[in-house]
Amino acid sequence: MKDHYLTKRSFFPKFVTWATIVFFYIPLLVVAVNSFNRSKGGGVWKGFTLQWYQQLFSDSRIWEALRNTLVIASIATVAATVLGTLCAFALHRYRNRLQKTHYMLVYLPLIVPDILRGISMLLLFVLLFAWVNPLLRQTLGIRMNLGITTIIIAHITFCLSYVAMVVLGRLQDFDFSLYEAALDLGANKFQAFFKVVVPAIMPGILAGALLSFTLSLDDYGITFFVAGKGSLTLPIYIYGSMKHGNPAVINALSVILLIVTFLTVYVVQKLLEDKK
Amino acid sequence: MRKVFLFALLCLAGLLASCGGRNVLYIYNWGDYISPEVVKKFEKEFNCRVALDFFDSNESMYAKLKAGGGGYDLIVPSTYMTDMMYDQKMLRELDRSRLPNLKYIDPDYLSKVRDSEMKYSVPYLVSFTGIGYNKKKVRNFEPSWRMFERDDIRGRCVLLNDPRQAIGAALITLGFDPNTRNPAEISRAADLVIRWRKNIAKFDVDEAKRSLISGEFWLIQTYSGDMLQALDENENIEFVFPKEGYIFTADTFVIPSDASNVDLAYAFINFMHRPEIAAENMKFVKYRCPNTEALKLLPEELKNRPSINPSKAQWDAARPTLDLGVDTRLYNAAWDRIKSGGD
Repeated sequence: MKDHYLTKRSFFPKFVTWATIVFFYIPLLVVAVNSFNRSKGGGVWKGFTLQWYQQLFSDSRIWEALRNTLVIASIATVAATVLGTLCAFALHRYRNRLQKTHYMLVYLPLIVPDILRGISMLLLFVLLFAWVNPLLRQTLGIRMNLGITTIIIAHITFCLSYVAMVVLGRLQDFDFSLYEAALDLGANKFQAFFKVVVPAIMPGILAGALLSFTLSLDDYGITFFVAGKGSLTLPIYIYGSMKHGNPAVINALSVILLIVTFLTVYVVQKLLEDKK
Repeated sequence: MRKVFLFALLCLAGLLASCGGRNVLYIYNWGDYISPEVVKKFEKEFNCRVALDFFDSNESMYAKLKAGGGGYDLIVPSTYMTDMMYDQKMLRELDRSRLPNLKYIDPDYLSKVRDSEMKYSVPYLVSFTGIGYNKKKVRNFEPSWRMFERDDIRGRCVLLNDPRQAIGAALITLGFDPNTRNPAEISRAADLVIRWRKNIAKFDVDEAKRSLISGEFWLIQTYSGDMLQALDENENIEFVFPKEGYIFTADTFVIPSDASNVDLAYAFINFMHRPEIAAENMKFVKYRCPNTEALKLLPEELKNRPSINPSKAQWDAARPTLDLGVDTRLYNAAWDRIKSGGD
């Protein structure tokens, strides 16, 4: 009779399972099926074809956009993770009168609309270039422009806030007497931070990094404004194709990205299992 | 440590600096709105690289350029945006002697737009806003905007989610000018759209054409080129010009005043209006290029489509949408009234 409580069937888990399948995975399945559909719009099944994959592999612009997107996401993630972690540490560890303001400054970008941040970043860059470019031309003979670099800087700024918030949550659970003990036992501040604090909050750091990567990967609102000429990213390509474009080619690309993502997750899990 | 720092700084500077070398033409265009083969031909002939960037609406493109982003050599805005940008001194005036192929441009088209002398813009493609419908589902079809009031297709039709298009169709139906600045006329048109609103399923842009193909919707207000593409998928779909009249829009080539590669921009515009190139491009995008020689080179099945080659009467019934400056707010106010239920 003791097990009765556990074996009792509940409606709720079943509901959650089905809701997850319907809202998370069925849309992906629809995309996958449509990538083989001869119909361009994907409304009706018109027979099997591989022509979208063929078109995808022959379109160098999509691959250029994908390469740019991945480069931007990787660099922005690494930078935002390092800066965001340090930022969270400083916010958590030190106390002074301005700390509330600092917290708000880090938190604010999360709630400001994308389009506003995009435009304001663009205005900032334009202003900056107007000052710096004459100087650079005289000394080095070069000129700064909007491009991949400005996109990376913009992405770091918003990813940083996400990382800081996630890591901060982890730090609040961390027992700082361990850190002090390390200091007592002869570690300097850096050693104590890297050997004691960082390993303990690693899951938070990784979660923040993953979040940054996905956010950077599909950002449109901010990227649209800070992108320069010739720095096409995948979201810009896809939004641009909405009016006249061909969604079927994008379906094919999505399927390839999905396969790569699933394979990566699978391999990482296998590696972690072996470690244990 | 200092060496590493210096090296990092140099790398950053290298990334920031614009790379020189091969001649590059930077174009800002709608996505998938030009044949990739045609672009390749241009690159080969002029020994250069064409870098295409994309925008998804005239307004976002304008906002970006106005804030100082850009530096493009060639942009493809719609006519009303082109006129507005010209008024704000954002565009270069064109040197006609460098564009000999403009002699092929259809004079009928030019007589209808503000920049009829091609002082600052050259037409690229034209589309008409008419009615797309499913021949199997809609009985007793009539080529009229009044179809949107018909009870028997209630909940099966869709209007464009664009104030100038939806109110414009109502204005034309009532016999007014779709560019009117008269508040009383706009108000009466808004009343008509409110009547239609109660009959239609929704206001929509991109998804409606897919739903028309799949058979969910039966009759939609839509753009001509989209319907030609849809025809490949569902042979029961037809595009018609409503008898009361209809709006046409055109996208134009313009050279912004801060363009750096003006020579190549001129070469590109002239290249795109070479009859055989313009024809090849039309086969890809399926919109009308107002180039009289190119239209003659099209294969029969495209040449006979009214949306590519309208008759004289059909062309005469088409009206442009003009930039109304501050008076655009009359349309926005009417649109708010329509969207909020019209009471």
